[in-house]
Amino acid sequence: MPAAVRDEGADGDEELLARIAGGSQAALSALMARHGRGLRTFAARYLGHAADAEDVVQEVFVTVWKQAARFDPGRARASTWLYRITANRCIDQRRRRALRNFFGLDDIAEEPAAPEANAETATAARQELAIVRDGLSRLPERQRMALLLRAVGELDIGAIAEVMGASAGSVEQLLVRGRRALRDHLADAAGSRERKSS
Amino acid sequence: MTREEFDKNRRRFGDDIDAWPPPLREPARAFMARESDDALDRLVRQAALVEGDDRALARKVMARIDRGAPHPSLLPRFLIAPTGFAASAAALLIAATIAGYQVARLQDQSQDSELLALAAGARLPDDGGQAIAGDAGEGDAL
Repeated sequence: MPAAVRDEGADGDEELLARIAGGSQAALSALMARHGRGLRTFAARYLGHAADAEDVVQEVFVTVWKQAARFDPGRARASTWLYRITANRCIDQRRRRALRNFFGLDDIAEEPAAPEANAETATAARQELAIVRDGLSRLPERQRMALLLRAVGELDIGAIAEVMGASAGSVEQLLVRGRRALRDHLADAAGSRERKSS
Repeated sequence: MTREEFDKNRRRFGDDIDAWPPPLREPARAFMARESDDALDRLVRQAALVEGDDRALARKVMARIDRGAPHPSLLPRFLIAPTGFAASAAALLIAATIAGYQVARLQDQSQDSELLALAAGARLPDDGGQAIAGDAGEGDAL
């Protein structure tokens, strides 16, 4: 369900942010429990690097701790604000890594681990998810970001536009193109499997 | 999964894919994802899932807050932005050019004085160094 219509969670988030602004570490813990996994998944799949994603999410919550007082519930939902901070940190992290790669300071990019990765090749079900992940990693950055914000962050078009600093129209275009490319990838994979089996 | 396979399985196991045998669920979701945006989004959400320790995350964040949260990067944000990087590279280039000119100018000065001395008939010492102005053969008491 889109964040824009998820009132129960959104109200709770805003209250938590108000308490964090007042210095409540318990409220920060509650916010991390609620959004930590989603933000980490978004960052890991956008960056394609689990350790970087972990760093990014830590930075996000430290930023939330420091700047919770600046959150204006009249301007955006708490989840939109959190994903916006995360998206900006991810872009910074990607630039930082590109710079380090340019100067040869980095190791090879690491794909984030998936649950039960060892069993993945054993079953058709896991293979299917692996194909989706592969397709996702091949999407252009902005299409991938839009699709992840929609699917993982469960943000609606307006919120995604706010996070990405784009218009609603261009977000719709990004989603249409991203989904089309992903479907093509799934169809190609299904086609090649059928050819192998026949 | 093809349309025929999907329809056959649906007749056999029902409309609720969660009630289908586990090995058939993801291929069925992938098939549905080709037809519906919501199904594709669900599949992406499931595929994107990353394992992680939520408690460890909370511990690390609290530790960073207690330490005063130093930024993990050695590079300031200005430097990693494309414009900042370009500006820094340009500044470095200009600084290197000026430094190069300065070094070259110092070398030219000593060469100029050597050439001037040679033109005036002075004799270079064996190592071509400082003694050029004060030639030992002229005016010195023996």
